[in-house]
Amino acid sequence: MDKIRVLLVDDEPSFTRMLKLSLERRGFKVMVENNGAYALTIARDFLPDFIFLDVIMPDVDGGEVAATIRSDPKFKDVPIVFLTAGVSKETTRVKGDVIGGQTYLAKPTTVDDVIRCIEKKLGKSTSPTS
Amino acid sequence: MSGSITKSKVEPPRSDLSTAETRSRLDAILDLSRDGILAINMDGTIIGWNKSAERIYGYPASEVLGKPLSLLVPPDRLHELPALYPAIARGGTIDEFETVRVRSDGTRIDVRLSIAPIRDERGRVTAALAVMREITAIRKALKDAEENSVKLSDRERMLRRALVALRQSHEEAKTAQLQLVQAAKLESIGRLAAGVAHEVKNPLAVIMFAIDYLTDAIPSPDENTVTALTDAREAVVRADSVIRGLLDFSTATELSPTLQDVNAVLGRSLQLVRHALTKAHVLAVEEFEDDLPQAMLDQNKMEQVFVNLMINAIDAMPSGGTLVLRARRERLTEVDQEVGVRKTDRFQVGQSVIVVEIEDTGTGIDEAARARLFDPFFTTKPPGKGTGLGLAVCKSIVALHGGTIRIKNKEGGGGTRATVVLRSIRSKEAKSDG
Repeated sequence: MDKIRVLLVDDEPSFTRMLKLSLERRGFKVMVENNGAYALTIARDFLPDFIFLDVIMPDVDGGEVAATIRSDPKFKDVPIVFLTAGVSKETTRVKGDVIGGQTYLAKPTTVDDVIRCIEKKLGKSTSPTS
Repeated sequence: MSGSITKSKVEPPRSDLSTAETRSRLDAILDLSRDGILAINMDGTIIGWNKSAERIYGYPASEVLGKPLSLLVPPDRLHELPALYPAIARGGTIDEFETVRVRSDGTRIDVRLSIAPIRDERGRVTAALAVMREITAIRKALKDAEENSVKLSDRERMLRRALVALRQSHEEAKTAQLQLVQAAKLESIGRLAAGVAHEVKNPLAVIMFAIDYLTDAIPSPDENTVTALTDAREAVVRADSVIRGLLDFSTATELSPTLQDVNAVLGRSLQLVRHALTKAHVLAVEEFEDDLPQAMLDQNKMEQVFVNLMINAIDAMPSGGTLVLRARRERLTEVDQEVGVRKTDRFQVGQSVIVVEIEDTGTGIDEAARARLFDPFFTTKPPGKGTGLGLAVCKSIVALHGGTIRIKNKEGGGGTRATVVLRSIRSKEAKSDG
């Protein structure tokens, strides 16, 4: 079984490094991009099954990056989930993990929650392969 | 008294003076008088008229002597005359009678009259002598003084009212200033919260992933390693909880209100704290009034308020106790800090409201803490148990609903009562709303 390919786009290198290590340990193939402006280029090269996007980045915001990626027909069905440090407890209690039709994962989160999110979106189980 | 009082051409009454000298002296005296002096016989004919009378009434003696007294009396005062004559005829005097007379040019004048009888040698009353002083100017001055006094009283009343209004607006300005300061404080906390959230949550996320990674990477950790990882994870969760609370606080600024049944909202909130109730051995008692009017509420935010107040109540009863939830309708009858008579007051006297009370049987709150209950970051709970933002959030949410929240120790001690007052919607409005 091919490894699920996850693209992490976040300007925080320590965050992407830790998440990459954790996900790789659980059997995912992970590519990191710390500059949102290069996300589409990397995606075309890496061909991810799943994309995590930071909402607030220095040069470009996550919404714009998502729109750019979606503009390429190759990625129109690839799940994109936002990682955000700006969602409140009240918001997630009331609205769950979908806000404005878009799925969010509130930082900090656990590796287990990240994997559950991937499984849910891809509709399959990702039992560890390593 | 012919020509005695004036240069009268009329025959003097029989009682007149006997000698020319006496008459002359009397004439001089009468003409010197500043008061008008006139004589009338008993049928009301004017028979004497001095210079001052001429000045006051505008008639020369030649025009009034032999004329009836009624010439000088305005029509609305003619009724005074019939009573005068018998009184004089009986020998009575009239002292300082104030009335109105009319001048030759038709002007009405105020006069003060004194009348005395004139007797003949045998003591019979044959005529009357009237002394009158014009008091129009005095009357006018008096009237003006009275009016001025009334005006002064009016002005004094107006000044008092203005003073009261001034004091009131001063109080309002002070309150508004405090609210502005509070709003500015909240706004800056909001901005701060968003900034802090972003800057702190990212490092927290890194630590959390690192803990997860280490947990996975260490195949058989010893007890100390497990404790270290567990404590680290809990510390991240706790820090995250503070940040999330701050974000809640900063986002408690807008509502999505819909028509809600307050009892139902309270019921759902109670369900959310069931687990905490059981754990703390606290019994919940519901005293919900039936058929409460509905209220426009942001259901989730109001649940957040009720849950917060219930959790505080439960935390105040570590050895168990009773949590009482009440909801009832009430008509506001008394003016207080939040209830007034003007449209700008939060509530108006006579308004129907819904009162929600959440009571515990804990130890109560000391006065110093009570003053700071709604201050952001103020907490009486042990570290890690509360962020100190719960009640600040509650207050913001309730205020956004146009309501009020108060927390007091119960009368007679033995616990605390949180009271939330909300605007109710009349059934007609509720129906037209959908």
